[in-house]
Amino acid sequence: MAIVNLQNVTYKYPLTESLALNNINLQVNEGEFVAIVGPNGAGKSTLCYTLAGFVPHFFKGELTGMVEVAGVESQKSKLHEWVLNVGLAFQNPFNQISGAKYTVYEELAFGLENIGIPRDEIKIRVEDAMSLTGIRDLADRSPYSLSGGQQQRVALTSILVMQPKVLVLDEPTSQMDPIGTREVFGVIRQMAHRGLTVILVEHKVEWIANFADRVVALKDGSILLEGTPSEVLTSDLLAENGFGISRYTSVARKAKAQGLWKKERLPVTLDEAVEGFALTPGPSPEGRGE
Amino acid sequence: MHERLSFYVHRESFLHHLNPLTKLTLVLGLILVAFMAPFYWTPHFLILFAIIPLGFLGRVAYQYFNAALKLILPAAGFLFIMQALFQPFEGQELFRFYFLHPTLESVMFAFSNATRIIVMVSSFTLLLLTTHPSELMSDLTRRGLPPQFAYVIISTLQILPQMQAKAQTIIAAQRSRGLDTDGSFVKRVGALVPLVGPLVFGSLVEVEERAIAIEARGFTSTHPKTSLREIPDSNLDRIIRWFLVVIVIVTVGLKIWLS
Repeated sequence: MAIVNLQNVTYKYPLTESLALNNINLQVNEGEFVAIVGPNGAGKSTLCYTLAGFVPHFFKGELTGMVEVAGVESQKSKLHEWVLNVGLAFQNPFNQISGAKYTVYEELAFGLENIGIPRDEIKIRVEDAMSLTGIRDLADRSPYSLSGGQQQRVALTSILVMQPKVLVLDEPTSQMDPIGTREVFGVIRQMAHRGLTVILVEHKVEWIANFADRVVALKDGSILLEGTPSEVLTSDLLAENGFGISRYTSVARKAKAQGLWKKERLPVTLDEAVEGFALTPGPSPEGRGE
Repeated sequence: MHERLSFYVHRESFLHHLNPLTKLTLVLGLILVAFMAPFYWTPHFLILFAIIPLGFLGRVAYQYFNAALKLILPAAGFLFIMQALFQPFEGQELFRFYFLHPTLESVMFAFSNATRIIVMVSSFTLLLLTTHPSELMSDLTRRGLPPQFAYVIISTLQILPQMQAKAQTIIAAQRSRGLDTDGSFVKRVGALVPLVGPLVFGSLVEVEERAIAIEARGFTSTHPKTSLREIPDSNLDRIIRWFLVVIVIVTVGLKIWLS
């Protein structure tokens, strides 16, 4: 059953000529993990804002087609009702901290206070979410004293406590170092395991290959390709269109051209690459220049 | 680097446990009495018998005297000197120095005004020292202050130090590219120009993102908001507030009656 349903969605920002989204058709099932990839300016963030209701309610502009989440149409809904169904987190963790609270615990409660959840339930939800994302030890710290990875985990948790049906993540790790990235993906994994529907925009394709059920490649506001991670991420189309691709894919593609990659499909992750190259016969011991 | 801009000192004291509105009423009461009372020595009396005892009662006397010495007294002293020298009062001339000829009346007037300012700033200082900003704002929001207003106040307190840090980073970046930020006053003002662009435009982008982030967390929800913090409001609080209201009314009454 599709929880997210986009039909012929076209959108233009105010005061611009070009289409930010051009005839997007996308269905996402409940509990599915969909990753979105694309070069800069492909419309990834616009798509996130559309799913989260900020297009057209916040950015205005012209939206045509149908955006439907959990059976409700975005254009017929109010933004403050819509955000209860769709949670949005984005790149810069610093800007996602509300600034109205002095501790992480209060920061997590901010959204729940806004929507009028009773105090006892706020405490239950915050405790619960903190255990899930492993930030219990940060509860009494100031959100501004945290590292980028910690802040982003707080930002994700602050969306999680709202218990949205769909989670939209717009490059949550793009400003993280490898440690921060691992922390944040740990949280995303937990959320996916909980059965949340996740839509993730991400450049780090090796992570996507490990997580996503499906990958959508976006280019110039349209969907270029759609399929399983290994289908899409190893496609020649991606390499030709300036998408970020895995270094293992590039290496194997070159190796394949010289007949050194024996498998049908190119690898995305290190493990797949190791597995594939193991099939390539190495130089025989006699042939070592003796 | 400061993580936040806050004077709050965490203590267990009578003042800390009062309801924020009670303390705000106390502040406004002190100010009104200091400015409206028809007796010359009222503000001086308030400092000795209200402000200073309150500092001890709130167990923040050290922090209060610290702020008073560094900030309040110099400012009040400056005000005193300016008013004493330049107020054109007729009366007994104290001395004459070129065009300056302060009179006893102008000095008396300046002294009283400076003391009133001390009462005003001191009572606010005590409020800020003993009241957590979010507690003050949650309580006022509960009583009908628009949450947008409370948000602006609190987030400014938190985000200003962050912006300061960002400005430092930009200055360092511009200096590493050869911008000269030392030297004459004119030169230093000129050096601020390349700082303003990145800081202002960067902040505008940040404001939009922050607006989206809090909107995504239901900030504009039409539900009545709840609060994680339980803010005590006892009968004692109510009694104190009414008592203060009565004192202010009496003061105003005296002022009208005696004038």
